[in-house]
Amino acid sequence: MTTVLVVEDDKNQRLLYEQELKLEGYEVVTASDGKDALGKIQEQLPDLIIMDINMPKMDGIETMGRILGKNNEIPVIINTAYSNYKDNFMSWAADAYIVKSSDLSELKNTVKEVLAKKANDS
Amino acid sequence: MKKKPLSPHIHIEETVNKIKMLLSKSKGMVLDDNLFGSLEEMCDDLGSQLKNGKVVTENLSVENEENEDSKILEEQIQEEREIFDNVIDVMGAGLCLIDKNSKIIWANDTLKEWLNLNESPVGGHCSDIYHCDVVGTDKCPAELVLNGKEGHIIQSWVTTKSKKRMCIQHIAIPITNKNSETDNILLLTVDVTESEKMVHRLLLLQQFGEITQGTLHLDKLHHLILTCITADYSFGFNRAILFLINKDLNVLNGKLAIGPSSSEEATRICEETASSHSLFEIVQKLDYSHNIDTSLNTMAKLMVYSLADTREVVTLCTKEKKPIIVRDAAKDTRVTDEFRKALGVNEFVCVPLIAKSEPIGVIVADNVFTAEPISDERVNTLTMFVNQASLAIENAVTYKNLEDKIDQLTETQQRLIRSEKLAAIGSMSSYVAHEIRNPLVTIGGFAKTLSRFTFTDSKIKVNIDIIIEEVKRLEKILNNITDFGKPSKPEKINSQICEIMENTCMLMENYFQEKHITLQKRYETDIPEAPVDPTQIKQVFLNILMNAVEAMPDGGKLDVNIEFVNESIKIYIIDAGKGIQQGVLQNIYDPFFTTKPSGTGVGLSVSLKIIEDHGGTIDAMSEQENGTTMLLTLPIK
Repeated sequence: MTTVLVVEDDKNQRLLYEQELKLEGYEVVTASDGKDALGKIQEQLPDLIIMDINMPKMDGIETMGRILGKNNEIPVIINTAYSNYKDNFMSWAADAYIVKSSDLSELKNTVKEVLAKKANDS
Repeated sequence: MKKKPLSPHIHIEETVNKIKMLLSKSKGMVLDDNLFGSLEEMCDDLGSQLKNGKVVTENLSVENEENEDSKILEEQIQEEREIFDNVIDVMGAGLCLIDKNSKIIWANDTLKEWLNLNESPVGGHCSDIYHCDVVGTDKCPAELVLNGKEGHIIQSWVTTKSKKRMCIQHIAIPITNKNSETDNILLLTVDVTESEKMVHRLLLLQQFGEITQGTLHLDKLHHLILTCITADYSFGFNRAILFLINKDLNVLNGKLAIGPSSSEEATRICEETASSHSLFEIVQKLDYSHNIDTSLNTMAKLMVYSLADTREVVTLCTKEKKPIIVRDAAKDTRVTDEFRKALGVNEFVCVPLIAKSEPIGVIVADNVFTAEPISDERVNTLTMFVNQASLAIENAVTYKNLEDKIDQLTETQQRLIRSEKLAAIGSMSSYVAHEIRNPLVTIGGFAKTLSRFTFTDSKIKVNIDIIIEEVKRLEKILNNITDFGKPSKPEKINSQICEIMENTCMLMENYFQEKHITLQKRYETDIPEAPVDPTQIKQVFLNILMNAVEAMPDGGKLDVNIEFVNESIKIYIIDAGKGIQQGVLQNIYDPFFTTKPSGTGVGLSVSLKIIEDHGGTIDAMSEQENGTTMLLTLPIK
């Protein structure tokens, strides 16, 4: 089963994503901030990471940097309420950039696409 | 016999006859006493008669002698008087002798000439010929001098017998008799025309200085300078032409010429301005438009001389930085034939305008109509004048440059402020959007989740749907705002603007119909492609078309015209709606500014940003109740 790591500081949103993604058939692991995320990755390497940017202690960009530094094979989807990080060069390193919306269909579709692409590449 | 006083000759003859008769009677007789007595008497008589005759003759001869002397004296007096008169005439002053009652005793010829007197003034009152305004008052110099005080000097302008205008001064000098009393007064009249003119000129210079300090408008200043030079009773030149140096083209170009174009005009102007002597009066009467169309002015504007060519006297003048007086243009090697013919005069003067030790132009002045010779002294005063003028011009130019720079600075400052405002709002809105978006995701997300469940009560599903809808609406608004804050760079590709407009209009077709809008499109043919981001341009068109429709809530005409002018594509969107108020017009591009009840106020701000990113401009022209025209200009490069 495909494992998805959701990194999001908002508790309620975490719950929402977990529920919805589970419905899609993925195994979902959540982390509340960058540090937590790194810990979870040590325990188990996920197939995909969905990363929020605005988080306390360590923001999504930095976290992504660290993760990719260790293992740059993992696809990362940035899921944020900010729309202007698109031009940030670090976010180019991500495989996709999604602006958060209450309609999760875009997120779900992007997850499918990214996973498929990774499967094709490898 | 009686003795009669008789005239000598007759008496002597008579007496001699009587003696002869007596002698003849007494021939042969003895002389008696009577006879002897009468004879004696007659002899006495004769003697005395003879004596008388002698005396008379003596007297006569004495008289003759006296007449001789007096004749000589008279001649002497006459001679001396002539010498005296000569001296007085040569003195060049008017003299008049008046008595204690101001009656004229004597006046010399010069005075008669100056005061234009046809008959001798002797016997009349001094006021008859002098026409001063202090007659009879205690300011009268004659009165003052009579009372032993110092006399005032009275000054007036007169027109002499030979039609010359002169300025004269009258001074009263007391004449004392042997007892040191003042019997008579000598009125001395002197010609002060030249010094008066000089004083006048210096006064003008000072006045001119004051006026030019207040004139910073360059064209007015040029006009003023030339008027001062040609005004009567100042420098009194007939014409003056101003040439200015154009640094970019390195030429000397005629800028303005003032003066009559013909001698008839000259006479007319002379009569008109004869009444106004003061410079301020002349300046006030100045009509700046008056001289523009004169043939002299037109000719001057066509005169262009390269600064490299020193054959022309005007160019030479700027190089030498000194005035050049040309007395005989035909023979002067410094004057080219063309210049002389253009000017049409043989004697003129060129004075350079020097500011900060650099030449900025030349003024050429002449006396073509009065043919008055140009004196060195006049050129000196003119040079002083022109130096002041140069300073004034330099001031005006500097001031203008300053004004321009300030305008530029103000504009830049305003753009900077707006830019900062945008940036601040951008960052704020982005922050706010982010803060709101997150909870919205949660609310909407879970509402969606809920909507998947089936409920026994159908109302629950309806309510949940409402929640989802409202969340969507909020997200839409947030998207609009964040679009605004987004520093998205346009991805330009060569596109046909008309095509983009067509697409946009097609998109809005139903909307136009719904709102009863009649759309009229006019596209010029052969409009070239422009490098634009089609999506962004479409967004701009949409914004502006929407605004136009919303300005006409009851429907109306909407015109869209696209033209190609001056390397730019111009797009006109014209509505016949309620228009934009003057006070509001300057705010329409401000972010979040809106007069619509349900507007966000970002449409035009975003549009302006997009157009400016493409190197274009937006102009809004509107009148209340008279519709609005939005003009978008896009460069093709």
